[in-house]
Amino acid sequence: MPVPQFDYIAPKRVDEAVAALVEGGKETRVMAGGTDLLVKIRHRMLFPKRIVSLKQIEGLDAITFDKNTGLTIGATALLADVAAHRSIRRYYPTVADAAQSTANVQVRNMGTVVGNLCNASPSADNAPTLMAMGATVNITGPTGSHRMALDQFFQGPGITALKTGEIVTSICVPLPPAGSGTAYYSLSQRGKLDCSAVGVGTMVTLKGNRCMDVRLIVGACAPVPMRTLGAEKMLIGKKMTDTLIRKTAQAASKETSPITDVRASAPYRWKIVAVLTIRALADARKMALGKR
Amino acid sequence: MKVHSIIGKDIPRTDGRAKATGQAIYADDIKLPSMLYGKLLRSPVPHARILSIDTRKAAAMPGVRCIITGQDIPRITYGNWRLFPGTQDEYALAMDKVRFIGDEVAAVAAVDRDTAEAAVEQIKVEYEELPGVFDVTAALTKNAPVIHDTSPTNISIDRKIAYGDIEAGFAASDYVREDTFTVHAVSHAYMEPCACVAQSDLDNRITLWTSTQTPYIVQCLLASTLNMRENDIRVIKPNVGGGFGGKMELRPWEFCAAFMARQTGRPVKFTLTREEELAFGRRRHPMTIRSKVGYKSDGTLVAKDLHIYLDGGAYNAMGPTATFLSGNFGAMLYRYPNYRYIGEHVYTNKPPASAMRGFGAPQTLFAAETQMNMAAEELGIDPIEIRLKNAMVSGNELPGVATISSCGFVESLKAARRISGWSRKRKRLKTGRGVGIGCYSFISGGVFNWFNTQYPFSAAEVRAFADGTVHLLTMASDIGQGSDTVLKQILAETLGLKMEDIRLTAADTAMTPQADLGTWGSRVTLMAGNAVLDAAKKIKEKLAGAVSARFDLNVIFDIEFADGRVFAAGKPDRGMTFGEAVAFVQKAQRGEPLVYRGSYTPRGKGLVSPAFSFGAQVAEVTVDTDTGQIQVEKMWTAHDCGTVLNPMAVEGQLEGSVHMGLGYALSEQFVMDGGKTLNTTFLDYKIPNAADMPPGESVCIDTFEPEGPMGAKEAGEGLVSPTAPAIAEAVFHATGYRCKDLPITPEKVLKGLGKL
Repeated sequence: MPVPQFDYIAPKRVDEAVAALVEGGKETRVMAGGTDLLVKIRHRMLFPKRIVSLKQIEGLDAITFDKNTGLTIGATALLADVAAHRSIRRYYPTVADAAQSTANVQVRNMGTVVGNLCNASPSADNAPTLMAMGATVNITGPTGSHRMALDQFFQGPGITALKTGEIVTSICVPLPPAGSGTAYYSLSQRGKLDCSAVGVGTMVTLKGNRCMDVRLIVGACAPVPMRTLGAEKMLIGKKMTDTLIRKTAQAASKETSPITDVRASAPYRWKIVAVLTIRALADARKMALGKR
Repeated sequence: MKVHSIIGKDIPRTDGRAKATGQAIYADDIKLPSMLYGKLLRSPVPHARILSIDTRKAAAMPGVRCIITGQDIPRITYGNWRLFPGTQDEYALAMDKVRFIGDEVAAVAAVDRDTAEAAVEQIKVEYEELPGVFDVTAALTKNAPVIHDTSPTNISIDRKIAYGDIEAGFAASDYVREDTFTVHAVSHAYMEPCACVAQSDLDNRITLWTSTQTPYIVQCLLASTLNMRENDIRVIKPNVGGGFGGKMELRPWEFCAAFMARQTGRPVKFTLTREEELAFGRRRHPMTIRSKVGYKSDGTLVAKDLHIYLDGGAYNAMGPTATFLSGNFGAMLYRYPNYRYIGEHVYTNKPPASAMRGFGAPQTLFAAETQMNMAAEELGIDPIEIRLKNAMVSGNELPGVATISSCGFVESLKAARRISGWSRKRKRLKTGRGVGIGCYSFISGGVFNWFNTQYPFSAAEVRAFADGTVHLLTMASDIGQGSDTVLKQILAETLGLKMEDIRLTAADTAMTPQADLGTWGSRVTLMAGNAVLDAAKKIKEKLAGAVSARFDLNVIFDIEFADGRVFAAGKPDRGMTFGEAVAFVQKAQRGEPLVYRGSYTPRGKGLVSPAFSFGAQVAEVTVDTDTGQIQVEKMWTAHDCGTVLNPMAVEGQLEGSVHMGLGYALSEQFVMDGGKTLNTTFLDYKIPNAADMPPGESVCIDTFEPEGPMGAKEAGEGLVSPTAPAIAEAVFHATGYRCKDLPITPEKVLKGLGKL
């Protein structure tokens, strides 16, 4: 099939990129690594008239970490760089693991964490962990800049809260609180390198064995990566026993609304949400207790 | 035994460097001046009558040079079973009806690819949709829609095999079981999608460069469909990036490229996309396999009654051969005193199934080997013991079909048991971990001639030169399996030359000797190898005569060929270099070059194959019983491919086979909605990745096949079959879940364990 023709603009500054987006209107797309966008164009799922690349904007690929303010991942920071970053591996190991479990080597060397989020696939590997850790996105647009919680960002498959002309310039992840633990589990039919059929990310904060706070996010089982709020409530304030974890996992599974598609059936996904939730919560608990 | 200097050594592939550095030329790399780009319009519906086709808008587009539909081409069907014209059921472009989503309806040639693609979208086709059938059950229902008028029952062909007395056999059995197995379609997924370039010269002769396994078959069928003489068609096979059975017929783009090149006077290229390959391409036959077997209580096989429905898709393709071979694979591993097979090839409104690595064996052996494991379980006999009791040995007969010559099956079973630590593991693995076995036998080329060639099955020409080099010409097709290397090895070894002394011209129907039936059925090493040996033998006769005359040798002397020299055995000083000997002969012939032809056609070898390979494979798996996911931890293989001509090449075939078998067993499948294939990219058509490959260990059993070149037989195809039954048995051993319908997905495991 013919590749649609489009203009390619690679501005050097964020405000120029925003201007190019505003000028281009609805048929303009932002590109970071291009690993999702160009494939969609090639497969004629998208027909943009203009592409605005962020790759020439200096500093946008920065990854910075500060013990007070937390972690910032720039819009063009590569998945591979996030997976290998020393501070991320030390303070946010699950963020690094999720980046590492995204796609394959070639995609990780081209694609970006922020791009993975902006693509808004329900199965995006990076979303559950980042949502669980309370990440926020930094957005710049024609009317200035603002922040948004990541769990408000996803609106549907391929749809985000971004308005015309807006760009996600970076994502911020606060420093995990004391006594917290995180985990991400994903699963697909093929094994090691694959698009996830189900993903579960979590962060729990414990005092002793008591759960003070928890966020539990399920990927690929709803139109967006979804928080299972009911399941979270079951844990807060309680002793995090194996029995309670199992009950919570069942509840989390019930909250999701998976579909049957080429990657898995809905009944299988429901089952697997429970299995992976048990594993993720048990792992996060272990990490929170300093045993991992 | 003779000590070899090149045979049996790890000789690197002669095309390896060119492929690794990107210099190897594939069909899509070929660009000719003023070349046009072709694109096919395919049917969007599974079954319909074509009411009208309007190409006017497309034809008016700038850059469009040619548009053809079924109405523009000769109304001549084609198919590989030329001997039975009734089986030839395909037109290059649909005439009146379309029979699957993807059926080729029209073709466009334009100045560039984008224009061709845009033009295809402007062709308007009016269809009258007909009800479709998408599986065998629906196709065989009374009053089911008829896909081809020539087959009112939708059964296009059947094959039967029978010997012994099946009823008496079951009556004499202590234990009888009957099972139905279903197996699914998978893609060849060769790395190089199909591509071709056709050129028509001023004399209206056609040259076609095409990614094919069978240049000779393409030449003949292109000639017949174009109403041309065979010799006016030249087919050249460039480097080919894999075929696995998917590139062994004349295909519509080859016809359309040639036809439109003739129409326009300009070269025309077609290159398929991966999406086209996955959505519309050939695939392995899904089968419904009903098998009834009878045993004595000690595990001795008495009788087998096998019935197979092959889901053929919309056209016969290579289905008739698969229908025949499946019946033979059903009884090739073990001695069945009483055997009956009925195979029926059924049309459905799906992309046609065809030949695919194993040609019926992966399907039938999944059923047969799984059933053997089930019987072993119920009879309380170790799965390897029950096989040893029934294993085919040298001299056994497939009644009326063939006599097994060399056979290392028993040794393979014992070796697989030893290297895998089978006996210990069968007893002492913890829950969730298991080992299982699967076995295979396979043909080394087919003896049948349904293509009805008038030529030898394989041929070779060897030209020897006074500079000490030789030129080997053969129509044999290296499609990535390494036959060019092996044929050179055979020739170099025989003539006492080095690999680099041999120039090879292969797979060019105008330049290489007639003929070669192509690369399929694991025939190339044995058949083309024998043709090379035959030609080499004649060259040697001449050169030996020259040396004998030059040194006035007693006629009782043997003449040896080694290290680039020709000399009297035991008297190396009585000899000369190979080149000097050639010069001597050429002088004696008054300038006539030293050239000989050799050929091979199997004769008196029964109905199937001149030689049979055997092997056994053990898989060890871990099953996550909460998610149903299966991790294959290791594969152990012991196999008999006769003399190993090139260990490195055999190892490559083994690893490729395990990879393909792994996908067949666990993850590869077409997700279909009626006649529509939903997973048309490698993201969702799940071939195992490098990271999914288990480690392996293997043993080659030392046998010598009298009919094979230097004792060799096949190693490229049979090995793909044991993996699925071995893994299935290992999963059963690990969990108690017995899979009878491939693939073994996590969902099926959980359902089987009652957890879903």
